[in-house]
Amino acid sequence: MRAEPRERLDPRARRLWRITGLISSLVILAQAAAVSAVLRWLVNAPMTVAVLPLIGALALGAFLVGVVPDLRWRRWRYEISDTEVDLQRGLLYVTRTLVPLARVQHVDTQQGPLERSMQLSTVVFYTAAGANRIPALHTPVADAVRDRIAELTREQDEL
Amino acid sequence: MSYSAQNLHPVAMLLSAQSAVRRWLSTFAFFGVASIANGLDLGDLFLLIMAVLIVVLGSAVQGFLAWRATRYWVDAGAFHLKQGVVSKSERSIPLDHIQSVDIVQGLLQRVFGVVEVRIETAGGGGGGRPGAADAALPAVSRAAASELQRALSAGRQAAQGAMSEAVEVPAGPKVIRRLGVGQLLLAGATSGQIGVVLPLLATFSQIFDDLLPVNVLEQVAESELPRSPAAILLGLVVLAVTAWLISISGTVLAYGGFTLSRDGESLRIRRGLLETREVTIPIRRLQAIRIVESVLRQPFGMATLQMDSAGYGANSGVSTTLFPMLPRRDVRTLLEAAAPEFAVDPELQPLPRRAARRYVVMQVLSVLFPAGILVALGVLPGLLGRTSGLLARLSPVFLVAAAGLIIASAIYGWAKYKGAGYALVSDCLVLRTRGFTRTTVIAPRRRLQSRSVTQNPFQKRAGLATFGVRVASGGGGTEYELPHVDAEAVGTLLARLGPAPRVA
Repeated sequence: MRAEPRERLDPRARRLWRITGLISSLVILAQAAAVSAVLRWLVNAPMTVAVLPLIGALALGAFLVGVVPDLRWRRWRYEISDTEVDLQRGLLYVTRTLVPLARVQHVDTQQGPLERSMQLSTVVFYTAAGANRIPALHTPVADAVRDRIAELTREQDEL
Repeated sequence: MSYSAQNLHPVAMLLSAQSAVRRWLSTFAFFGVASIANGLDLGDLFLLIMAVLIVVLGSAVQGFLAWRATRYWVDAGAFHLKQGVVSKSERSIPLDHIQSVDIVQGLLQRVFGVVEVRIETAGGGGGGRPGAADAALPAVSRAAASELQRALSAGRQAAQGAMSEAVEVPAGPKVIRRLGVGQLLLAGATSGQIGVVLPLLATFSQIFDDLLPVNVLEQVAESELPRSPAAILLGLVVLAVTAWLISISGTVLAYGGFTLSRDGESLRIRRGLLETREVTIPIRRLQAIRIVESVLRQPFGMATLQMDSAGYGANSGVSTTLFPMLPRRDVRTLLEAAAPEFAVDPELQPLPRRAARRYVVMQVLSVLFPAGILVALGVLPGLLGRTSGLLARLSPVFLVAAAGLIIASAIYGWAKYKGAGYALVSDCLVLRTRGFTRTTVIAPRRRLQSRSVTQNPFQKRAGLATFGVRVASGGGGTEYELPHVDAEAVGTLLARLGPAPRVA
């Protein structure tokens, strides 16, 4: 197997994912609380059973906020060579994707409100078979990456 | 090559008048029925007839005006369509944006010997609706249609091909293969559509039962057929055979007269008995070709050829058929004539032995839950100390069924493993996977939009990886994956399928 891609995402990505993880765990927690309430007061399940969904949701939330962002950040890497974009990501299932620059049709940078507040951006590049993204880069870096991909793509076209 | 401004065939007037009348008539039918229900007096009838006359006349005039206002032509770089009586519009489609030129002939058009020409662009156009054309010419004579087609494809080549050698206008399409009657019938018989038709038919027969005078049916049933398992079985067999025949005729109508021909740098596919369709697809838009051998067709050594084509055939499964039914051994010959870039038929590299266990284990895991339920059903009566009763008597059956399920899934997993393989020859990637259907994907290196390798911890330990490629297809892309390939071999594939290193 070839060596891992060189570049990492911005370290603040971890904080970003912690926040998004927190938001989704709150949603899950609310749902679990509803299930617990139904079990306790409508089904009259014993307390030990009724709290199980809540405990599960808390554990999942802790995992999403405490563990996942670090693992994800450690795994996420990218590299832009002269001819290809090389991406690596995934927690358990590690995926490595190679996209020839000659296939790239156009490149965007995108920024959600949360990302903006942390000066992070996502680079999205499109091929005829869909979009690929490099998330959570420091905005100036993202802009540079976008411009570099665009420029290399143009060069490939001229060949 | 240009194509001077033309009107549609005059039958277009009739077609548009016809559709206008149909639109209006539904409105009038309501009033008509209402007035008849109220007791018909002469005044009402007169009014009604007048109204219908006015509608028919108005539609005829409108049809004429629309016909006169519609003109189309091809000049140096683009196809133009001008239409509209009150609000006028002119649409220009650059020739190199044209994805396909389809020719469709409905029943009415067939009566008058005209065809409809549909022009579609890359990106699907037509408001994103599948099947909606970017420009449609509802009535064109056959001769004018093929002339237009030639003008469009010649212009298209001229637009791209400053570098290509003198653009020669091809001498008309050359037939590559026709679907024979025997193979057409075989295609229908093995289409597997019966699974779709059968439930429909069952519903219909239910409605039918409800509608027919009950007494008659029951009398017939009781006198002729005793209500026995045999009778029910017979009924089911009749139902199944009917469904089968319907599915055969469906295939025959859709694929009857299927002809694949090549016209210069385009493929032309013509099919259909009642409504004939003719689709033109530029060969350079082909991204991948799939050889599909469904389980029913494998015994006959038959395969279906499907294609992925950029910006075309997004959701309509039928239009992506390159050829519906041909002997497996003829595939290569056909591809050599139709799309030489895809004409490879290499020995496939099998997956490593250690992958076999994974295929079998994954398959067995997927049936573990139902098998567990069966085991529970089999064991439960014994645990509860019941020795009589239906459940207790059936418990050995459940246990045997559970064992059978697990053994069958293990064999299925093994078959998947044996069927899978890959090859890379003359810049073409070939991937084969097998379920009940065996699918072989052929994709040239320069058509791959991206390639990927995925490893989970188990695969990593075993030195295996899942290899995947994406090709453009329809509006978006399609991913083709091959699980559990030797990790080093995947590394080689990744490298060899990459862009050629640049020469400084």
